[in-house]
Amino acid sequence: MNKLLLFLSVLFFIPVALIAQTKTITGKVTDDTGAPVAGVNVTVKGAKKGTQTDKDGNYSITVTGNPEIVFTSVSYTSKTLVVGNNVVLNVQLEKAVSTLDDVVVIGYQTVKRKDLLASVSSVGAKDLKDIPINSAAEALNGRLSGVTATTAEGSPDAQINIRVRGGMSITGDNTPLYIVDGIQVENGLSALSPQNIQSIDVLKDAAATAIYGARGGNGVIIITTKSGKPGKLKLSYNGYVGVKFLAKKLKVMSPYDFIYYQSERSRGSSTDSTTFTNDYGTTWDTLSVYQNVDVVDWQKEVFGNTGFMQTHNLSASGGNRKITYDFGYTYNDDKAVVLNSSYKRHLLNLKADYKITNNIKLAVGTRYTHTDVYGAGVSSDQGTSYNRLRNAVKYKPFLSPNQNIEDQDPYADPSAGNGLILVNPILLVNSEYRKKTTNVFNVYANVSWKILKNLTFKTTVGYDFSKRMDRQFSDSLAPYAVTQGGAKPIVRLDSVKAKTFTNSNVLTYSLKGIRKNHDIDILVGEETYDLKTESRSSLYGSFPNFTSYNTAFKNLDMGTAFNGYPRLGKTRYTSLSFFGRINYSYKDKYLLSANVREDGASKFGPGNKWGTFPSVSAAWRISREKFMGHVNFINDLKLRVGYGKIGNNRIQDYLYLTTYSNNGNIYYGLNNNSINGYYPTSLVNSDLKWEATVNRNLGLDITMLNRRIDMSVDYYYNTSSDLLLNVPVASTYGYSSQLQNVGKTSNKGLDLQLNAIILQKKNNFTWSANFNMSFNKNKIEQLGINQQYFYPAASWGVSGQPTDYIEQIGQPVGAMYGLVNDGFYTLNDFDYNTTTGAYTLKAGVVSDAAIITVVQPGSVKFKDLDGDGFVDLNNDRKIIGNPTPKFTGGLNQQFTYKNWDMSLFVNFCYGNDIYNANKIELSNAYTNNANMLDIMSGRWKIVDANGQTTQWVTGTTAYGVSPDKIAALNANATIWQPIKSAGAFYPSSWAIEDGSFIRLNNITVGYSFPVNKLTRLHMSKLRLYVTANNLAVLTSYSGYDPEVSVRNSGLTPGLDYSAYPKSRSFIFGINASF
Amino acid sequence: MNSKILNRFTLLMLTGLLFLLASCKKYLDQKPITEVGSEMVFSDVASTQQAIAGVYSRLVGDQGFGIRLSLYYTVDNDETQGPTGGGDNDRRDIARYTATSGNAQLEKPFNQLFQGIEYANICIDNIPKMNLYSKGTEQEKKQLQRMYGEALTLRAQFYLEAIMIWGDLPQHFQPAYAQAASNPFPSRVDRDTLYGQLLADLKTAEDLVPWRNEVGSIGDQTDERITKGVVKGLRARVALFRGGYSLRQDGTIKRGSNYLSYYQIARDECNDIITSGQHGLNPSYKSLWKDQVCGHTVADPDGELMFQASAIGLTGAEDTKLGYYNGPTVNSKGNKSINILPTYFYLFDSTDLRRDVTCAAYSVGANGSQKTGTAITAICDGKYRRDWATNPTIDPTSSVQYLGFKWQILRYADVLLMYAEAENEINGPTASAYNAINMVRRRGFGKSINSPDATVDLSGLSKTTFFSALVRERSLELGGEGVRKFDLLRWNLLGTALAETKVNLANMSTLTAISDPSYMAGFPSYSKSTILPIAMYYYSNTASDNNNIGGLWYNSLYKTAPTSTPSGTKKVVWLSSAIATAGTSSPLGRYATGFTTGKSELMPIPQPARDANFNLSQNPNY
Repeated sequence: MNKLLLFLSVLFFIPVALIAQTKTITGKVTDDTGAPVAGVNVTVKGAKKGTQTDKDGNYSITVTGNPEIVFTSVSYTSKTLVVGNNVVLNVQLEKAVSTLDDVVVIGYQTVKRKDLLASVSSVGAKDLKDIPINSAAEALNGRLSGVTATTAEGSPDAQINIRVRGGMSITGDNTPLYIVDGIQVENGLSALSPQNIQSIDVLKDAAATAIYGARGGNGVIIITTKSGKPGKLKLSYNGYVGVKFLAKKLKVMSPYDFIYYQSERSRGSSTDSTTFTNDYGTTWDTLSVYQNVDVVDWQKEVFGNTGFMQTHNLSASGGNRKITYDFGYTYNDDKAVVLNSSYKRHLLNLKADYKITNNIKLAVGTRYTHTDVYGAGVSSDQGTSYNRLRNAVKYKPFLSPNQNIEDQDPYADPSAGNGLILVNPILLVNSEYRKKTTNVFNVYANVSWKILKNLTFKTTVGYDFSKRMDRQFSDSLAPYAVTQGGAKPIVRLDSVKAKTFTNSNVLTYSLKGIRKNHDIDILVGEETYDLKTESRSSLYGSFPNFTSYNTAFKNLDMGTAFNGYPRLGKTRYTSLSFFGRINYSYKDKYLLSANVREDGASKFGPGNKWGTFPSVSAAWRISREKFMGHVNFINDLKLRVGYGKIGNNRIQDYLYLTTYSNNGNIYYGLNNNSINGYYPTSLVNSDLKWEATVNRNLGLDITMLNRRIDMSVDYYYNTSSDLLLNVPVASTYGYSSQLQNVGKTSNKGLDLQLNAIILQKKNNFTWSANFNMSFNKNKIEQLGINQQYFYPAASWGVSGQPTDYIEQIGQPVGAMYGLVNDGFYTLNDFDYNTTTGAYTLKAGVVSDAAIITVVQPGSVKFKDLDGDGFVDLNNDRKIIGNPTPKFTGGLNQQFTYKNWDMSLFVNFCYGNDIYNANKIELSNAYTNNANMLDIMSGRWKIVDANGQTTQWVTGTTAYGVSPDKIAALNANATIWQPIKSAGAFYPSSWAIEDGSFIRLNNITVGYSFPVNKLTRLHMSKLRLYVTANNLAVLTSYSGYDPEVSVRNSGLTPGLDYSAYPKSRSFIFGINASF
Repeated sequence: MNSKILNRFTLLMLTGLLFLLASCKKYLDQKPITEVGSEMVFSDVASTQQAIAGVYSRLVGDQGFGIRLSLYYTVDNDETQGPTGGGDNDRRDIARYTATSGNAQLEKPFNQLFQGIEYANICIDNIPKMNLYSKGTEQEKKQLQRMYGEALTLRAQFYLEAIMIWGDLPQHFQPAYAQAASNPFPSRVDRDTLYGQLLADLKTAEDLVPWRNEVGSIGDQTDERITKGVVKGLRARVALFRGGYSLRQDGTIKRGSNYLSYYQIARDECNDIITSGQHGLNPSYKSLWKDQVCGHTVADPDGELMFQASAIGLTGAEDTKLGYYNGPTVNSKGNKSINILPTYFYLFDSTDLRRDVTCAAYSVGANGSQKTGTAITAICDGKYRRDWATNPTIDPTSSVQYLGFKWQILRYADVLLMYAEAENEINGPTASAYNAINMVRRRGFGKSINSPDATVDLSGLSKTTFFSALVRERSLELGGEGVRKFDLLRWNLLGTALAETKVNLANMSTLTAISDPSYMAGFPSYSKSTILPIAMYYYSNTASDNNNIGGLWYNSLYKTAPTSTPSGTKKVVWLSSAIATAGTSSPLGRYATGFTTGKSELMPIPQPARDANFNLSQNPNY
């Protein structure tokens, strides 16, 4: 032992003795991928002499003593090393902030960003590291120009709608294509953890996407996961813990206001007022006790929990010259703010590269993701009766005598119309169990073989398997069980399996420097894609009361299957494609690229199976022209232009065939037994073909001020045609519509991306910023024959609810549609009959009795748009809201000072409207004994301070006390009497609000321990940080959050109805490497 | 890796590629897996049976006889009326004849009827082309023939319903796939042309479908499927509508040409059914409804329930809301949205047992049995009653809205009455006409069906007075079964009936004696009295569903009421101004308020249907 110590001391102290000798230092400079870096300046600090690395990254320099050697390069962060006793000094340089040399994946190929002809937005691991969130999709929000990532609501597994330059399709799916490590996968972002992502490249225009042909119409998101690097085993741990709080609450009326209104509501109906006096007291004075009762804040009880989240990510990577590997494991646990709502995910990934010979490389990768999401959430796609927000807002804001907080309110209306029953929200949460499990497994391999010096063949195979299980249990109290299952528990089990097999074979041939000036790259390839899906759905009811969910799931026989269940659906989709690309560049100054892809798909009938998708693009690197020679502040200036046609194949299978289904949607009883009927699924259109989009793009890339500023501006104009629309056909044919290729839309816009290093290493301070901004204008250009507009089904509400969106030529997809609010009727609108006490509308005053049944002073008023003197649904609705923002964007700033780093990310959105449907439901008095939003405290009152009724209705006539008394009572009224009639939920302009916002999305402050202090801990990196997510939102929107769109359908964007409220989180995290 | 392996690898890849190219045509030819093409559906008896089930299914559900066709579209008439409450652009407007083309409850039922026609068309197109249809075993051939006949009959049923409601309509006697491309925007075709096709189709179907007692011989089980009696009965009904009055596109109300020849068809078809001996009347009118219909009973020993639309699944898809939307409430569950008019209540003879089946003047308490009497303004129709439901019974606390009650499309009693009507129209009141109507009456009064009984039998009537009596008898027998409004329409009596009912309702509200209607036989004499009670006293602790004294009520429905509440009873208001107060809460205040002759006889074509087909013209005066 002692000998060993001695030996080690000798080893450490010998270098001291070597000081002041002259020697030659050699070494190799590599980048973070291990590739050699040429042209790096190598100088001795304080001396003038220096050298440069050669093409293999090697250098040799003579030094005296123990100086510091400085390595500098434009594209890399400079590095200073002490020579010490080394004679060989290998250096790994980190890339500088400038992104010009970043490699961008553009489809079967990679190019350097400086050589891009296409419009591509990228985000790298460096940006992702500051965003300690679990969702990779959410991480894209506001970071990329031309890309919007809208989170539907605040739940941990909320759907995130990613749109590249607006959606082109109207009724079709506008989801982009996801390619992970070269393999097409469905919804690629949900099965990945942000910690494992190396880069995300979003291909926005046809110059890049046309190589994906019929799949590229909605843009392509290419994700590259982290790979191992040659070198020692590197262990990293990234982890964080955090707490979450409800970001905002809706203000509701106080108990006294509630009682006051219930008393008003009960007037005019003898049964109601009897019930009221039975429940709350006979004389007005007794009601004053409710001024002092304890308030129950149901939102706090149900949504106001302190959430707790933790994420642990472990990775091991390393390798040698032959094999590199990267293995990772990530665990996410997110206990959300909503009661019983949580999220757990395990991710495993392995990626390995094997250099079999110098010419043959093999890469294999596999990923497994297991996600469990617990809790029924807040919104429900099953309809308004089953939404949960209503209960948390409208439930009586105090407890009745002897009522425990988890008891049903004895006065709650158990049989409210349209299933709008109120259930104690705590009880409701506990009576609905839901667990969604997703398993995703994929594996891929590719072999690239350099056949000749210039010729490479690459074959890729991929297999992707995903299975989603959704288990739901509605106990006897839950509205679903009450209205559908006779108040007996219901179990729903759904599963969806998808298996994908892909294979692509690509041959690339590249010739550089033909006659010095010409570079040519040729790529040809072939690809097959095979997707099989299987869905199964079971619905069992009539379980005995008090059956637990576990028992019910295990013993389905205890219940009885609903008619038409279980249901089974299977599909298979195959496609075969051939593609090619040619890139040509002259003197690196004129660049030209042409793509073509030929796609064949089983989704279409004979004669329509094949589609051709060509594109061509060109770029002119102006900075290489002689006349730019003296313009020193510009490093690179490039003008790009692209044109191409792409398609969208995201439509259902077999639509071109007349098919019959017996999936249980339709059945008939014979002798009280049901038999499933065969029925035609749709009116067939055998001529269906691809949706097509023509993309036009003009872009300018500029790099200047010694590469400190980097900017891209793109203007685009995309038009799509042959969009599949369910065109109404004569309904007497037995179908409401037929799918036809008739629609046309356009998207026009501007993307701006600006990266700047504002301060670089001044007094150890660096400040860099990334800014992006996107403008998009979406327009419907054409619908079906003779069709100027159509209405999608009402996005929420009860039976008979009028539609609230319109798809109209000349308007964006999903314009909001409804009545125009005009305040409320005042006494000036009425004649008063002093004898009978009747209030009748003055001649010439518009009546909206057709909407709200009886018009009286204080009734809500709508505008008579057609001027016929009364308001009705048929003639007095118009477009009242535009869902598309004028612009969106984000600003991310990163600061480093010594070992401290900080980032500040703000995203914004301007000029869109949100349809605050919550406001409509939560401000009406449709249901008895239901509370309302606090805004209704300012309502027009019909009971005075002494409890006297001042207005009432008999039949369809309004009566009241004298106008002066009503005027005195309502001098300060700010809003109408709550609507409680059939028109209670009619959409109006009052519910349309400006959705503009600026969000302080993320602030992170980190501290990295100096490397020299870590060596003793055998660590190479240790960084601690704190983050606040969603710290503040600057908006005039009155709902929970303006970033909302609860329906999956693209036809009803910007709907805020019963969304899961968003939370604010504070996080502490560690990044460590060993 | 050496070059040998490399070469093999290259070879393998190239072979694979070649193989792929060769098979690429096939590779892109994917056929549906869980959904199937028509060659699969119409390949054997069992799957064809499922296609037929698909056609049947269009009868029911919320958009069919589940609630809209049966309960929304059949009021107001001179028996029943729709719910209280303000105008709603919905069911209330329909009941009051104030519906516009944008009414929320028009489009989906319209669509479902035509969906039924399309589904039937597909079967009609495919079944006769099946290999088994011509080359199968005898049993297979007979079973497929029956299904072909069923599809023809169902198509006629859907069309008849649609024509009764909307008049002339586009003609769809081929599947859409054969027709839509060449004629995407079809115009309306005169109803007489359509009726002509339906009568021909039903004639064809008669020979394809076996009698009720013969289905076993072709290997089918006895169930609610269509049998020959139904085909003939429907043909008689179509013929009566073809021969009856209706509002034409030119705005006039007239009857089709040659109407008597169609009455002859109706007479002959009904005669065939009657003489076949395949169908009969259940001796007890109450048992028919309470035990059979509300009892969810499958067996029908008398064969009276000839054509029932099934109700199953407990959802809006294929069940019915009968007994939830209408009928008395139990434990306050239910809508009681159909009310019996006071005038109709008093049309019944006090000994007519059908009154207390058709009219339920009570609601049921939380224990499921205790009754609370209702005011005269709130009597419910009573043929579909939640409290009568058995097999299974329905728990009073259950909020279930679908009770599994089957809607009765055709009863044998209707066949007898159609026979009597047609026979009288052609030959006058013959013995066979009397016998048919009197069988119905005898059963209604609890008498032996086949024994003449002077106390209830009709006799000595002229052709005209026989018709008057028939107009009344159909109401007494078929009240609340959705046929009244359309009967009155084909007789061109709806406007008259509504107007005279209004007068009598006003009379009742002022305790003035009601007067006999002009369009049908009159009220019992004691109903036309000024001493009808102004209050009724029900026993505060009774389980009786019977309107008799000692049943639900303490006092007589026909005599002056006690002035003070007798002990053990509770009071409800009977004849009073409440029958006619202004506003929609009283029977008169909301009764057919928008009825306009020359317009209201037809419902407006739903606007979305017109938006999708610019050739589809609107009905007169909408």
